[in-house]
Amino acid sequence: MKRKIAYIFLTLISGLAVADQDIVDHNKLLMDHGYGHSMDMAGGMVMGENKDRLPAGCDKISEEKQFTVHAGREYAKKYPGTIFGFDQHQWQVKPCAKVTVEFINEDRVRHQWMMHGLPKNMYNQGMFHLEITGPAKITGTFIAPSDDKTYLVHCDIAQHMEKGMKGQLVVGKGSATFPSIPGISDPVIADNYDGKKLEKAVEVLPEAAAVSGQESLDVGTVLSGTAVGLVLTPLLLWFYRKYVTIENTKKCMAKLLALSVREGKRMVRLIMAILKVAFPDSTKAS
Amino acid sequence: MRNMQGWISKNYSFIKGVKHAPMRLLCLCLLVSVSSTVPAVTPLPPSQKVTSGQAEPFCNSGAPQEWREAGTLEGISYQESRVCDPDNPADIAAFVKGTNNISMETLMATNLAPDAITMSDDMDGDGDPDRIVIKLEIMEINGHSPDAPENVTTFDIAPGIQPSFWVFVPKMRDMSTKGFGSPEANALLRLPSPAIRIEQGDVVWLVVENTHYFPHAIHLHGVDHPYMDRRGEGNDGVGQTGGMDIMPGQTKTYVINSRQTGSMYYHCHVQSHTHIPMGMAGLFIIEENRPNNWVQTFNIGDGQVRHPSVAVLEHYAQEYDLHFQSFDKELHQIPQTANDVRLVAKAMNQEYDITESTDDYYTLNGRAFPYTLRESLIVVDPDKKVKLRVLNGHSEGMALHIHGHKATETHYDGVAQNPVARVTRDVYALAPAQRVDLELDTHDDGLHSYGSGLWIFHDHVENAFTTDGMGDGGSLSLVAYREFVDEQGTPKTQGMNLAPFFTKEYWARKHPVWQDLGEDWASFGEPESTAANSKNSKPSVAANQPETGSGFNFGLLLGLSAYLAFLKRAVIGAAIKTLTLKFKTTS
Repeated sequence: MKRKIAYIFLTLISGLAVADQDIVDHNKLLMDHGYGHSMDMAGGMVMGENKDRLPAGCDKISEEKQFTVHAGREYAKKYPGTIFGFDQHQWQVKPCAKVTVEFINEDRVRHQWMMHGLPKNMYNQGMFHLEITGPAKITGTFIAPSDDKTYLVHCDIAQHMEKGMKGQLVVGKGSATFPSIPGISDPVIADNYDGKKLEKAVEVLPEAAAVSGQESLDVGTVLSGTAVGLVLTPLLLWFYRKYVTIENTKKCMAKLLALSVREGKRMVRLIMAILKVAFPDSTKAS
Repeated sequence: MRNMQGWISKNYSFIKGVKHAPMRLLCLCLLVSVSSTVPAVTPLPPSQKVTSGQAEPFCNSGAPQEWREAGTLEGISYQESRVCDPDNPADIAAFVKGTNNISMETLMATNLAPDAITMSDDMDGDGDPDRIVIKLEIMEINGHSPDAPENVTTFDIAPGIQPSFWVFVPKMRDMSTKGFGSPEANALLRLPSPAIRIEQGDVVWLVVENTHYFPHAIHLHGVDHPYMDRRGEGNDGVGQTGGMDIMPGQTKTYVINSRQTGSMYYHCHVQSHTHIPMGMAGLFIIEENRPNNWVQTFNIGDGQVRHPSVAVLEHYAQEYDLHFQSFDKELHQIPQTANDVRLVAKAMNQEYDITESTDDYYTLNGRAFPYTLRESLIVVDPDKKVKLRVLNGHSEGMALHIHGHKATETHYDGVAQNPVARVTRDVYALAPAQRVDLELDTHDDGLHSYGSGLWIFHDHVENAFTTDGMGDGGSLSLVAYREFVDEQGTPKTQGMNLAPFFTKEYWARKHPVWQDLGEDWASFGEPESTAANSKNSKPSVAANQPETGSGFNFGLLLGLSAYLAFLKRAVIGAAIKTLTLKFKTTS
């Protein structure tokens, strides 16, 4: 009986999963937790919401700006090598603008539109943050500070930013552009497309680098070599002319030969002795 | 010098036969260079003590003391956990009751998504929920960044060691890291993929939301599950036979209604020869059905189960999940070498050859020694029984040994052994993917236990107590009797100073292992010439010498030819004259 109930239940739910293709609007489900933080039990979340508190340096709201951000796999299509993306990767607003972001996640996993660098006294951790598991949408509002600055926007789920979900919100004239935003800026560390096997970049040791940089010969050593050469050459020549006669060379070579034969014999005897100690059986057998 | 002359004249008297003194010298020079047996007292380099970087404190988890104590939260009791880095009681409460049955305050004290674990419907009317929806995400830790050389979302298995991993995690919310300023992964996001617990007969949907950048799946190894779900879709997680892999951004629900109990296993079955070792594997435990049996759905980082099931508590005082894993360094560097997913896929799927691989890292519950001591102590009292669920996640066999104890093997791959046929021994053999349940009896009878102490336990395959070949690292940890552990979970060790193990230099092979032992003159220190930073200085010396030599030789040659040119200046002059003449006439 219990298993029957279980199976009926499973069937029901799998049916639900198929029908559940429409984008769910989470804005009606949200519960306010104070401090601009709202959340619902299906994982919709708005953090750092601010609809009315003016930032320092703003007398009034300069403009009411609204935009819709689509997020998901679909938007990675345009940028080879990425996996996730936003439909747009840069947004422009005026200083002191009241910005409302409608975030539509088209994937069936979590995504975020998370902005960093806002004044920490007004926004917890300096963040404005929308999060939702798709397909669904969620909306939040914040007020841009009064100075020209560019803010990082990303999805903070591990590797989502690196694999395409990175953008920037430009307030006024903005400041420096962030790297590796799809379609906007290059990465700091470019990938290598030479077709060779991937290898982790090995830390270059400073000493080794110094050596590889030393392409030309050191002048000091070359000069000292030259000096020695200049002095040594006439000495050697004199020596050669005076003493290296055929008779002398013969004598020396003969002595060397005799010596090497003698030492060689000793060496052979030594090796035999060692072998005897090491392999007593094999020597017996032989 | 006179001695040397005497020695030479004694041994090589024939030289006297050579008449001319300079010739004699030449012969001597040759001889001396040939025979290197000249005795001399050359002073050997003195010992040097290598000073390594600042050692981390034994315990830096920052966990509040009350997290270690036994307590009750949301009506859920949890056991004491006397280790440096205990599980957060709010997590335990959420795992036991479901994220849908706890207060917002408790939920906010975790990193869990509100829909991570949904528990409802007491179908058999025995006081516990029987319909369980568990949501998993998949994430990379120690991953690559296109904007900085450092890894992102970090998790150190030992000081300074950050291989990349892919793990299953309970569905989370908010940031993956501990904060925007910190690269460190939050407490839920870690190795190993967590042990998952359900109750026998529960209707379980295991929902995988693929938040990772590659296709994945789950295979429920050993878990009683239908081959297909009621819609006819594959439920076995094998892409080649039972249904498509889960693409990034997509989700799949696996259905489980297990009639059997035991310690089982779950893992990804997409390119499984790399995805399993990348970390996509964990324990899957089906607890016996009992009334009012709320089981702890996840055990983050494995180790102690702080809310054991009713059936386990009938026989045991405590329960531990022990997941042993091994990793090949080269495989775990691949995701750190490129950002473009096509390049990473090619390197993983086509370039990496597992048949030529060797394992370098060995972990117990995601950490190597000494980090194992911060969270994987088995803290016991005398005369108690402790249940250990051991999973061999290595690529090869393992031989677990616990010092000072002989435990009894009660279950093999989740199946109970007939009690009269159970084996009590001190080495437990496990083939890859096998599970053995052990009954550790702390009764001091000279057989089951030799008494109180700090008893280490480890895989007795020697590789496994190293970290990239440096000992003693790897997966070793301790069975610690309570009197040997202080309030913060620091074991009261009485051997050597453990500080060097808590430096990055030790694991980077820069610290002479025995230099701090015994005498204060570092008898096993580093000889001065090949000093501490041998890795840095050695190549430079080797590379510099030929450089210097070639400069000198080049000068020598220059001097020689200059002199010869001076001597033969008449001939050279004549040659130049004829050449210039020829040149003039031809032009």
